[in-house]
Amino acid sequence: MPAVTVFGLGNILMADDGLGPYVIKVLEAAYVFPPEVEILDAGTPGMELSTILEDSGALIIVDTVRSDGSSGELRTYRRDDVLKHPPAQRITPHDPGLKETLLVLELQGETPPEVYVIGVIPERVDYGVGLTDVVRAAVPGAVAEIIAELERLGYPAEARVPPADPDIWWERQPKA
Amino acid sequence: MARIVVDPVTRIEGHLRIDVEVNGGTVQKSWASGQMWRGIEIILQGRDPRDAWLFTQRFCGVCTTVHAITSVRAVENALGLEIPMNAQYIRNMILIAHAMHDHIVHFYHLSALDWVDITSALQADPVATSRLAESLSPWPYNSVQSMRATKAKLESIVASGQLGIFANGYWGHPAMKLPPEVNLLAVNHYLQALDYQRKANQIVTILGSKTPNIQNLAVGGVVNAINLDNQATLNMTKLYQIKDLLDEVLAFVQQVYIPDILAIGSLYPEWLGYGAGVKNYLAVPDLPLDTAGTQFDLMGGTIMNGDVSTVKPISRFGDEYFRDNVEESIAHSWYDGSDSRHPYDGETVPNYTDFQDDGKYSWVKSPRFAGEPMQVGPLAQILVGYAQGHELTVKWVDTALSELSSRTGVNVGVGHVQSTLGRHAARALRCAIIGDLALKHWGLLVENIGSGDTDIFNAPVFPRGEQRGFGFHEAPRGALSHWVVIENGKIKNYQAVVPTTWNASPRDAGGQIGPYEASLLGNPVADAERPLEVLRTVHSFDPCLACAIHTLDVDGNEIAKVRAL
Repeated sequence: MPAVTVFGLGNILMADDGLGPYVIKVLEAAYVFPPEVEILDAGTPGMELSTILEDSGALIIVDTVRSDGSSGELRTYRRDDVLKHPPAQRITPHDPGLKETLLVLELQGETPPEVYVIGVIPERVDYGVGLTDVVRAAVPGAVAEIIAELERLGYPAEARVPPADPDIWWERQPKA
Repeated sequence: MARIVVDPVTRIEGHLRIDVEVNGGTVQKSWASGQMWRGIEIILQGRDPRDAWLFTQRFCGVCTTVHAITSVRAVENALGLEIPMNAQYIRNMILIAHAMHDHIVHFYHLSALDWVDITSALQADPVATSRLAESLSPWPYNSVQSMRATKAKLESIVASGQLGIFANGYWGHPAMKLPPEVNLLAVNHYLQALDYQRKANQIVTILGSKTPNIQNLAVGGVVNAINLDNQATLNMTKLYQIKDLLDEVLAFVQQVYIPDILAIGSLYPEWLGYGAGVKNYLAVPDLPLDTAGTQFDLMGGTIMNGDVSTVKPISRFGDEYFRDNVEESIAHSWYDGSDSRHPYDGETVPNYTDFQDDGKYSWVKSPRFAGEPMQVGPLAQILVGYAQGHELTVKWVDTALSELSSRTGVNVGVGHVQSTLGRHAARALRCAIIGDLALKHWGLLVENIGSGDTDIFNAPVFPRGEQRGFGFHEAPRGALSHWVVIENGKIKNYQAVVPTTWNASPRDAGGQIGPYEASLLGNPVADAERPLEVLRTVHSFDPCLACAIHTLDVDGNEIAKVRAL
């Protein structure tokens, strides 16, 4: 069981919504993590998220976030912020998201000890591959937040020497 | 005449919107609308067909494996490429394990609370609940202590003043009819089901290397190296781990899920009469038993007008009856034009007009089969199998029908299964059927490896010129097909016709309404502000429409809007 799971949420086919998976690829390329830390591109899971979270200790989550402010701005939250408002009426299997998963874990007595969400306000969430410039510019800030949180939790990452190229396979243009 | 709009704004773009007109407490008219446009197909144009599955599995965070496997099947069909038996069995087990996870989650965590009243469970006697449970099933985890613990948990949640995951239910609604003990039992099983859906998903993780997005596929097979003596490959330890998990999940389905459906169903017999809707059914064959996909363990076909004697088989990958009869109409969808096109020639050019009752009102296209709207999903699959004498299906359906008949005192036949409640029952039965088949395919895989065959991959070759192909899969929500046109080794066109598109389709050029819309007609609505009955019927299809984005909303804007106009 990992002591910390860092996971990126979001859809790589929906422009800025792909921020979470993008940040994960950048982390993997630029850092080496202690064995207790798991790094995961989780996509856009529904209840499957509980499978990922049940076996973890602390959680660090990177995602796009709807909030007042300008595109590209960073927002951070702790567990109680995420759970402040009740969950929505269920209509489709996508409706259980992070909030619902945390509530389900709580019901089972498996609440993760720490939850830290790093969010970036998106500019464009629509079909298409690739982040907008303003959200891409926010990536280093999001990465720095994750690295700082890992250090705070006692599982610091080390810079990879030399750094690798991030494997953003979905942004590679098809060859002509 | 009152109009009710159920319009969830759970994510940044809208999802499924349902409008109904109610008169005299009954739905008279209805519209189903997808509130988000799908431009996914355009992203694939020009790409390498071998990479398509990596993108298609991102279509939807719930149906990842489903779109991945259908995509490789489509490209393989275009190339006429057969895959090794080990690859078929491994894919089949992934598909089944994913579907079992999905069906369990759908019933317990996404729809049971349409029928089960959490607040009533607080009145239940744990001793009587345990006794009731033991009369229904040999499941060993229905003890008095377990029921007591669940009740205490519920009490503490209610006492905290915050219902947590149970906030936002229609508690105390007049359409809730279960006695307190059945409600407590259902809540107890809701909690147990959380463990078993995870176990099912662990099977996907072992075989697919990772979830939610599996890594082990390739056009031409799988990349799971097989070496029974090697720690790093698919070996006996991992195979037995899979077998143990399968046994546990299947026991849960047989001893908890099915008894629960029958117990709850027999207490809501009127719902065997509501929600039939479109009685044309479409299912595709699945769980191939040979390298080419000509023999299957699940049967495909069509049934028209609810008459099982009209069954026509769809029997192999590349089946012409399926290929030649699928079209998508955009007459009432927000796309340019009003024509019907075959998926090979499909276009996705948006033309948003606002919600027009008699005009365009949905981003969902209207797939039609030989011009007819079709219902897809476990009910369609069960009926198509039953009509063709599929042994496992006949066994499970007949057992369930006789059980329901003896409990309700009504002679429950195949006609009653075509209903809101019938869709739930069919999903549970399908879950048991595919669970049996997972064990079979596990055995076939072990036997095949034991015979010395470790092949997992046949390399694809892309000739110059154009190839067309399609792949299908009987997914948890029904018949899914991907259609690909390849030119000189690159994708020229790609269309996915997904199950929820069949079911949530808007009206077509001839004005025929889609399955969701038809199923809502005649539904009762006791309280327009709390349209629980509308949700019961819509949820019974297991809608999966939004399929795409995941922007977190911490500030609490995530509310399902229900407006009674």
